[in-house]
Amino acid sequence: MIQASHLTKWYGPTLAVDDLSLELEPGKIVGFLGPNGAGKSTTIRMLTGYLPPTSGRATLDGHDVLTHAADARRKLGYLPESNPLYPEMRVEEYLHFAGKLHGMARPLRRSRIDHVADRCGLSHLRRRTIGRLSKGNKQRVGLAAALLHDPPMLVLDEPTSGLDPNQIGQVRQLIRDLAGDHTVLLSSHILPEVQRVADRVVIVAQGRIVADGTVEELRERSHAEDDRAPVHVEVRGTPDSVKQALASLDHVDTVEAAEEPGQYGWCNAWVVPHGRKDLRVQIAEALAERNLLVREIRREAGSLEEYFVRVTDSSRNVSNQAATTSGGVA
Amino acid sequence: MKATLTLARRELASLFFSPIGYVVLALFALGSSMVFYIGFAPGNHATMRITYSGVVWLLVFLAPAVSMRLVSEELSRGTIERLMTSPVNDLQIILGKWLAAMFFFAVLLSPLVVQIIVLELAADPDLGPVFTGLVGLLLVGCLYLAIGTFASAATENQIIAFLLTVFIICGLTFLLYFLPTAEFIPPGVRSAMYYANVNRQFEDFNKGLIDLRNFVYFGSMTALFLFLAVKLLESRRWR
Repeated sequence: MIQASHLTKWYGPTLAVDDLSLELEPGKIVGFLGPNGAGKSTTIRMLTGYLPPTSGRATLDGHDVLTHAADARRKLGYLPESNPLYPEMRVEEYLHFAGKLHGMARPLRRSRIDHVADRCGLSHLRRRTIGRLSKGNKQRVGLAAALLHDPPMLVLDEPTSGLDPNQIGQVRQLIRDLAGDHTVLLSSHILPEVQRVADRVVIVAQGRIVADGTVEELRERSHAEDDRAPVHVEVRGTPDSVKQALASLDHVDTVEAAEEPGQYGWCNAWVVPHGRKDLRVQIAEALAERNLLVREIRREAGSLEEYFVRVTDSSRNVSNQAATTSGGVA
Repeated sequence: MKATLTLARRELASLFFSPIGYVVLALFALGSSMVFYIGFAPGNHATMRITYSGVVWLLVFLAPAVSMRLVSEELSRGTIERLMTSPVNDLQIILGKWLAAMFFFAVLLSPLVVQIIVLELAADPDLGPVFTGLVGLLLVGCLYLAIGTFASAATENQIIAFLLTVFIICGLTFLLYFLPTAEFIPPGVRSAMYYANVNRQFEDFNKGLIDLRNFVYFGSMTALFLFLAVKLLESRRWR
């Protein structure tokens, strides 16, 4: 559906997007994630045909966004990052204008406006002037305009920026409801937002894709790279008795234990394994043998957040090195 | 075509929404009435010629004030990004803007109609030149607003768009009015300059002449600047 092949964008001497290829399967929601300045918006602008790439090609449903722009744009709903609107127009007026640009006849426009206004929580704001709306409500107007012509492909650049937690929840639900018959590319720099909605997550940094996969796959990868995930145990007993019980187990590297502050008789312990080993079952058995009461055993695996920070950070180092070497050669 | 009209309608609403629109309307009503009032006296010819000649100079500043926001406002607000990703092309955007400005311009000229009625009540003017003069003014508006559309597509700063438009119009009026009188200009170039002067083209209409050459002049110049405006808008993608 949405396809980018070898997109590259130079802004003068600055490389914003570096040979980025991406393909979205129909009906799937893909989260496009990266720190600020990673090239997300530039990529999105090239995908929507607003900016031409320095090299490479973008197609929407097989239509090249530059050479077959009209066909491509008809099937696209786009919410730009800055969410530009005409402040002097009323919400309803603006939605009619957006519908007319897509060649929608009046009866269709009316029913679709009713629908999207309801879905985006704008029903009570339809007669209001856009310029006087709050940022969150403006964002909802922009989203409604993108959804108005029921496009099979949606590109939403930071759709929840400026929204309060309730509204974020609504928008998240709205986007999730779109899956199935809509292909959605959702950009964000906030990980949990993407994590909860997207079928697949693509992480970019320095204009390149550094990770690509389902949320589970990425989480798996983050575990795999994090060999020695410690196990956290909360046990009833003294730190010494807990240490004694756990240190003798196989594959255990170190054990630390300390009394839990404020909770008399309870003790926190961290067990670091040798290599990649899940020690939770062994620990439970060992503690049960000694009749020590357990209330929590948790493996502290690396979170997706840590993974995100790691991949976006390490790629920065790599590209810095590349920049210096190429600079040296030049 | 439909998309062009949709764009024009939205633009027109914005023109009437903006305070600058009303300032321009008021200034034109005041300026044209003053010129009319000076010529409106017993013993003078019952024509609109003096009024029209004065008004055409007024447009050097008022037309750019109408056109300066057309594209530059879309650029500065970023709304151009939505337009350029909607199923409309750059030509439709430019034409829509220009059509809206032309409609506003027609409204701008409405005080002249009042003055014509006053003249008709007081005397017995020859309505032929009165009509052709109005046609001439509309054509001057076509050209000036096309120049203005072009200039506003060049920058997101409305003041720069205004000044650039005034500058180009001054080139076509003042410069081509006085420069040909200089002696070092060869006769061939001189007559070309006379032809390219907006005021001389307009004076033919003001005299009551309907000449195809004048239509060709305004038509081709307007088309040229609108074409340049489309190219300028297209070029924004490549910069």
